[in-house]
Amino acid sequence: MRWQLSEEQDAYRESFGAWLADAAPRGVVRRWLDDGGAAEFAGRLVRDGWAGVGVPEALGGQGGGLVELALTAELLAGASAPSATWLATVLAVPALGSGTDVAAFEGEHAALLSPADAIPGAGPRLTIDGEGRLHGAVPRVLAGDLAARFVAVVDGPGGSPCLRLVSASAGVRAQTRRLLDRSRSVADVVIEGAPSGPLDVDAREFLAGCAARAAVLVAADSLGAMARMLDLAVTYSKQRHQFGVPIGSFQAVKHAAATILVEVEAARSAVYFAAASVDAGGPQSALHAAAVKAQVTAAGARVADSALTLHGAIGYTWEHDLHLCYKRAKLDEYLYGGPEAWNERIADGLRLVPA
Amino acid sequence: MPPVDFELSEDQATIRRAVAELAAKFDDQYWLEKDAAHEFPAEFYQAFADGGWLGITIPEEYGGHGFGITEAALLLEEVSASGAGMNGASSMHLSIFGMHPVIVHGSEEMKRENLPRIVNGDLHVCFGVTEPGAGLDTTRITTFARRDGSDYAVNGRKVWISKAMESEKVLLLTRTTRFEDVAKKTDGLTLFLTDLDRDHVDIRPIRKMGRNAVSSNELFIDDLRVPEAHRVGEEGQGFRYILDGLNPERMLVAAEALGLGRAALRRAVRYGNERVVFGRPIGMNQGLQFPLADSLARLDAAELALRKATWLYDNGKPCAREANTAKYLCADAGFEAADRALQTFGGMGYSEEYHVARYFREARLLRIAPLSQEMVLNFLGEHVLGLPRSY
Repeated sequence: MRWQLSEEQDAYRESFGAWLADAAPRGVVRRWLDDGGAAEFAGRLVRDGWAGVGVPEALGGQGGGLVELALTAELLAGASAPSATWLATVLAVPALGSGTDVAAFEGEHAALLSPADAIPGAGPRLTIDGEGRLHGAVPRVLAGDLAARFVAVVDGPGGSPCLRLVSASAGVRAQTRRLLDRSRSVADVVIEGAPSGPLDVDAREFLAGCAARAAVLVAADSLGAMARMLDLAVTYSKQRHQFGVPIGSFQAVKHAAATILVEVEAARSAVYFAAASVDAGGPQSALHAAAVKAQVTAAGARVADSALTLHGAIGYTWEHDLHLCYKRAKLDEYLYGGPEAWNERIADGLRLVPA
Repeated sequence: MPPVDFELSEDQATIRRAVAELAAKFDDQYWLEKDAAHEFPAEFYQAFADGGWLGITIPEEYGGHGFGITEAALLLEEVSASGAGMNGASSMHLSIFGMHPVIVHGSEEMKRENLPRIVNGDLHVCFGVTEPGAGLDTTRITTFARRDGSDYAVNGRKVWISKAMESEKVLLLTRTTRFEDVAKKTDGLTLFLTDLDRDHVDIRPIRKMGRNAVSSNELFIDDLRVPEAHRVGEEGQGFRYILDGLNPERMLVAAEALGLGRAALRRAVRYGNERVVFGRPIGMNQGLQFPLADSLARLDAAELALRKATWLYDNGKPCAREANTAKYLCADAGFEAADRALQTFGGMGYSEEYHVARYFREARLLRIAPLSQEMVLNFLGEHVLGLPRSY
């Protein structure tokens, strides 16, 4: 079996990477993170036409699939760019009807009302009254402070989930909560009688797909952060001298860096395989997604610690970029469910105990 | 309040030195050959019997020295550390402390008959508790001792019985009331010290990964006649008697694991200094030196946990937490040291000739036996931390 990026995918990676280098250089990203400039970057992403890449044209996007989205996630993480609105939107879009989905890529970001620290769909459901008004609260919604529309999960007939669309206007309050990783944001969303409209999709199918896509994309994000940390650590270990030699000449340092490289390469192989698998919708695709979420994001958190060790105290300073990636990788481990939650899904899928 | 004192007593230091000297007479070549031939180390065992070491914890009135678990642990640690490893330790492990239930609960006659023979090495005993259908869930054993006049008739199966091939007697745990018929599951178990009558007990050695100089066996017990006088203590109380010995057993096994780790580390350090590749000793590589230094630190830490545990026991204080912790830490540190020693030796480590492969196989055993690391965590989680029983 041989799997590789297509020529178009390679070209996309290159051109989006070049755009990012131009639109989100270090100094600018740091200013955004310090001043809460996530909206500025999100606006630029929309304006320059990148927001719909990886979303089928039928859903208002520009075509492509989860592999393109994973490339985007990896590159965004490598640049430490603010990406909550982008991720929330591409996850929510498959539930939107025509019209709103196009708007979602024109600056009216969408988000699923589900806690960012749980597997999508595992969170609390809202209640709906006879007039279609929604009531309830969902804590820690990714991009909850920046979204124009929300996909809400309510109790449908017989307790099955049902999806509703609600606008971030009257009756919806979003209380921003600042994260240690300031390149993403979450908000507690409280809904008190906001009107809602129907969404014509199978809720279970959407939520299952949303979970799988979230798993792959957060893993891809972790991969991007890891690759950047490896880059920083190797560069530093060649610059920094101790005992008259570059610290990179010490085996303990070399081996730690080589171990990170192994993690990065393993992650890359697994993430893109899982992305293609989820897009193909094979019977094992949910397990592949769970596996990369559990494994890659845990590796990302380990790599963060190792990269910090390799940097010594300089990596602990505000001036150095390492902490941006460090916090990104640490959040990725728990964003949309920690390794334990995803391992549980894998265990369930293995039928360890006879049904 | 006395200060914390990490010194060994004069007796303890003497024991340590004397055991190391005696064990050193049996070099790695001896153990390599015994292990390869699956042959009991009779000469080694006899040397320790002749030196009076087998009775280290047996009361003086029965010919022993009446020392505590601290001294017994030092003895087994040094035996293991000499390179004798688990082959050496297991050859005498049961003599060192296995008779504890007999010493505490056995009849005077039983003690007079058996303990002096343990001390002089004449009597080999094995421990017959575990069964194929019970594992560590000891109360589920089904080997049954049925009353028949003044005797009992025993039927059942035992598995993983160390040294049964070489043993004259067995300390045998049975049920005298079936599991289904007892109010408390720990009731109805009865302990015997009786003859391993080959006409009624079929002993089959298990082919295994290591520690091959001392057999591990399956026992098929068919109508074994056991006189009432061979019963240890009261009928139905056997589980409690066995329980008394579990913490000491954990500490002694911890000592054996620790010694094995020391043996492995010693060989690895020597090789790291001697072996030259790329024009310098391989010990100059951080990739080899750091793991060995890390193992030294871990072995030293595990040793402290063990010393505390045996001190608590010998001073009559509760020690379950410390005994379990010592077993856990020593088994992991010992195995890790053996694994790293093997890595240090590279391809040579994989050959029998350099002995670390043997240490490695034996060290792995101690993460499984006498109870798995996971069961230690179960104990600590439930009984020390107060978490709900997890199994």
